[in-house]
Amino acid sequence: MFNFFSITNIYLLIQKLIKFINSIFFLILLIGLTFALVLSPPDYLQGDSVRIMYVHVPSAWIGLACFSVITLLSVLNFIFKIKNFYFINKSLAPIGLLFTCLAIVTGSIWGQPTWGTWWAWDARLTSMVVLMFFYIFYILTFKLLKKEELIIKFSSIIAVAGSINLPIIKYSVEWWATLHQPASIKITGTSTIHSEMLLPLLVMLLVFLLYAALIFLMKYKTEIIRIKKKNINRN
Amino acid sequence: MILNFITMNGYGFYVWLSFSVVFISCAFVYFKTKKTLKKYEHEFLVELQTLTLEEKNKVLENSKVAQQIIATSFKTN
Repeated sequence: MFNFFSITNIYLLIQKLIKFINSIFFLILLIGLTFALVLSPPDYLQGDSVRIMYVHVPSAWIGLACFSVITLLSVLNFIFKIKNFYFINKSLAPIGLLFTCLAIVTGSIWGQPTWGTWWAWDARLTSMVVLMFFYIFYILTFKLLKKEELIIKFSSIIAVAGSINLPIIKYSVEWWATLHQPASIKITGTSTIHSEMLLPLLVMLLVFLLYAALIFLMKYKTEIIRIKKKNINRN
Repeated sequence: MILNFITMNGYGFYVWLSFSVVFISCAFVYFKTKKTLKKYEHEFLVELQTLTLEEKNKVLENSKVAQQIIATSFKTN
């Protein structure tokens, strides 16, 4: 069982997964774009500007999901000292930062035709900017610190501190009066989004998840090669 | 109809700008990540070349990852 999680097996699995994602990615991207830009209907209030949702919402979800995983693995790594979690987090953080930035930028572009402004220091927008800074600080610990123990310690502190911001982002639209609309899709409770818009959104989410997985696997593979290169020097 | 698709009833600038920002950023990150991966693969091979034949064989015998990196570099070159 534990042999399955050896670096060699993980490396071989990564190779296969990268090939698999590469083989299906463009087909799903094409389907997603056709749904998002052509087949999905315009909103009765926002018109065609609602199509920005198909890149904005998946970006925000992945940005939040990455930080949640990073926090969980940081805590587990801090307690159980599982080296793999360190490499997973190191590979995951830049992806989370990318999608958080994309959520902020596309949200800002969507804000102009909808709210009449590119930016407002609204609770949801501000908390997303705070998340972006947590990602930057988190990545900086890997860049600036040299000792692995120190990196684990400081990155875990940043991840745990940043995790306090996650429920603030989620509930900011309910706790405060914000320009940002409340959630249309709810895991518990009734969603207010029509199925004609939900389907393209889910397909675009799949596209973004596949892309995130591809980048993560490439980064993780780079980490494994780096370790193997170090090991050659030791031999 | 095509003009309507491009202008998106007056929202075309915002919609196309959003999609462009996302796809350009994603493409940039993809190519940068791929370049870094190739760079490390290359550095690994260079490091392997510095070893004696005996040491090299020992590394290749013990490491499937090393075998895979060499196989991949042969495929791409």
